[in-house]
Amino acid sequence: MTEPTPVSRNSQLAAVTGLRWRLFVNGLRTTRGQLEFFSRILVSFAFGSLALGGAFGMALLSYLFLSSGKPQMLAVFLWMIFVFWQIFPLMATAFSSAPDSSDLLRFPLSYSSYFMVRLAYGALDPGSAIGSFWSLGIVVGVTFAKPSLFLWALLVMLAFIVFNLLLMQMIFSWVERWLAQRRTREIMGVLFVLIMLSFQLIVPLTGHYGKRAQPGLRKFVDVMVPIQGIFPPGLAADAIVQGIYPQVLPALSSLALLCAFSLMIAYGLHLRLLAQYRGENLSEVAAASTLSKDRQLRPGWRLPGFTTPVAAVFEKEIRYLLRSGPMLFTLIMPMVMLVLFRFGAMNSARRSMPFFNHSPDLAFPVAAAYAILMLTNLVYNNFGGDAAGVQFFYASPVSFRDIVLAKNLTHGGILALEAVLAWIAVTLIYRRPGLEITVATVAGLLFAAPVNFAVGNLLSMYSPRRVDYSKFGRQRASQLPALISMAVQFALVGIGVSVFWLANYLGNFWIATLLLLLLAGISFTFYSMILNRVDALALEKRDTMVADLCKA
Amino acid sequence: MDPAPTISTQGLTRRFGDLLAVDGVNLQVSPGQFFGFLGPNGAGKSTTIKMLTGLLAPSAGRIEILGMDLEKNSVAVKRQIGVVPEGMALFGRLTGSEFLNFAGRMYGLDRETAAQRTVDLLDFMQLADQPKKLVTDYSHGMQKKLAMAAAVIHAPKVLFLDEPFEGVDAIAAGTLKAMLQGMIARGATIFLTSHVLEIVERLCSHVAIIHKGKLVAQGSLEELRAGVEAQAPAGPGDGAQTRGETLTLEQIFLRTVGGERRNEQELSWLG
Repeated sequence: MTEPTPVSRNSQLAAVTGLRWRLFVNGLRTTRGQLEFFSRILVSFAFGSLALGGAFGMALLSYLFLSSGKPQMLAVFLWMIFVFWQIFPLMATAFSSAPDSSDLLRFPLSYSSYFMVRLAYGALDPGSAIGSFWSLGIVVGVTFAKPSLFLWALLVMLAFIVFNLLLMQMIFSWVERWLAQRRTREIMGVLFVLIMLSFQLIVPLTGHYGKRAQPGLRKFVDVMVPIQGIFPPGLAADAIVQGIYPQVLPALSSLALLCAFSLMIAYGLHLRLLAQYRGENLSEVAAASTLSKDRQLRPGWRLPGFTTPVAAVFEKEIRYLLRSGPMLFTLIMPMVMLVLFRFGAMNSARRSMPFFNHSPDLAFPVAAAYAILMLTNLVYNNFGGDAAGVQFFYASPVSFRDIVLAKNLTHGGILALEAVLAWIAVTLIYRRPGLEITVATVAGLLFAAPVNFAVGNLLSMYSPRRVDYSKFGRQRASQLPALISMAVQFALVGIGVSVFWLANYLGNFWIATLLLLLLAGISFTFYSMILNRVDALALEKRDTMVADLCKA
Repeated sequence: MDPAPTISTQGLTRRFGDLLAVDGVNLQVSPGQFFGFLGPNGAGKSTTIKMLTGLLAPSAGRIEILGMDLEKNSVAVKRQIGVVPEGMALFGRLTGSEFLNFAGRMYGLDRETAAQRTVDLLDFMQLADQPKKLVTDYSHGMQKKLAMAAAVIHAPKVLFLDEPFEGVDAIAAGTLKAMLQGMIARGATIFLTSHVLEIVERLCSHVAIIHKGKLVAQGSLEELRAGVEAQAPAGPGDGAQTRGETLTLEQIFLRTVGGERRNEQELSWLG
């Protein structure tokens, strides 16, 4: 027997890099791959503009504040970068396309290599790339203001970048873990509902005490300002500020604390990645390990007015969704956004009132529009979660029109539920939306949903991509549908805003309702036309559908 | 007079760019036959079975199942066939029971019948022990059994199976074989591809061999044996003919496709 060849970590990492490159090059062989590449260029251009524009802004503002003797303002920018970095990947899941590194575990990959590969994949995420650019923008601004600080600022910001990168990965991996099983998912759901309900108490309290609460709130903010300094964004800012004076020991201790935070986060991430490395099974089975023999008859769901196959697909879609924690999480993002905006409002008491506090009536339509945006993850890749199951659809005697109709019914049902939840959330957090605005928003949804469903049905067949709803990110998302969906959303939002503006200008929101209902009639006709073409399209695209959705 | 074939293809062809994966295949499978479709890796077996079940469009040619043109009457045909394709076509995030129930209703069974047959099939396949387990957590063998159960829940007249015994243990294989033989006894037609020639030899009454996209042999095992014996002298390693014994299917297969084993010395580094 020959001795096993020693495995070099560098050669493995080079092989992984080579693999990514080959996948990219091979992907260009097909027309769809080329279109995908073109979409990536466009998306990269948009994100690149955001990264470079933001970096320029950060550089300019850092320079101005340092030059005018207000270096402590750096903390504000670093907090902004921090919040963006951690929130953006959740808000823009369609554009996160990090592949699943756990596929590499079949090879003799050491744990440290696995950890590094996972971090490297995470660093390529648009949110991380943009955050890194902005952070480096601050280095540029600081350097222009105080050239001698270049190396120190660079060192601090690199530590800040590493911290953010680790934190984002850790949050994703732990949330994925908690959402993977029913029990922990339910606990998270209950916590979220409790947070929502707590606003029911906060809003009347702040309203009741009115101006009397303001001094207290200001005092609270005054206390919070030094406290933020012990958290990583504050520490990074402090390390740079102390470097200006220069206070070597405080500066070093701030950087050391920042590094300590990073180590702590790295340990949290290490716990998750080690479990993955050892081959954990994140599934529902642990939560439901019943061994009793099941001979109970359980007839499937009935959907009044629809055929049995439509009801069967509808039931299957709902069951899938209920077992897909990460997907559920993205669907409740509109409510999370409302909560975040409310938090923002409370923390910025010294500045002008934020948008929704100024115009609470708009909170409901904005949340509803955001609900549609989040739903595009499902709508624009209808068959992505079915994976090899798409072969079952092709082999079964059911028309694709019925299958797609059932999927759209599911998505419509989710949207309706989200609209109701958003309405309740707005009522709890801000105030009850008026009847006119509620009806106009519903009319807006009736207009926007069929357009999205129609375009989504087309793209689901032209550009299908297998996805695992049980995973948070870590999948190669298709940029083409994401880009087209963004274009559709821009067009729809543009039309919606114009209609609302016109109604506002004329002083009657019922005009908006009327116009949106007219548009809804047109969009529903468009949807029906596409739905009637689905069978022919499914037949035409069956090779692509089966090949793309069945490949591992 | 021979009965009308259950499966019939004329000039069935499939191209993938420049590659001719299936080249003018003419198949005839009669009612009640247990038909084995063999071929080396990449010969075109899976491509053919995908075309026969409507999962892949032929580039040319015609397919008739139960006397109906597949392209023109796809829904009517699919109502009467069952399929276990290469990727098994399962929905991973359903339980076994939910999946079978779903499959039954998709094949037109009413809710109660689908529920009853789900229970029967889970019991028969010995999958009823963990009712809350998701399909994605099933072992490979369990998934194969479940895919098979979904393919027969509507009592199809024709069953297409792509590698049904791959990754299945002896006990599960026994269960599946018993079910398939029961179906044949009740008049169903089964078309299966497999690499396990012993299983094909034991189960199938008729066999076709595809090689490099072309159908190179078709008929009953006896007909194939006679054809091979008449055409070629005994090759190395198959001394059966010279000893007067009957040729095994493996020997027939190897002679038909001209298979030759490489010398192990070529991989001497294997140790």
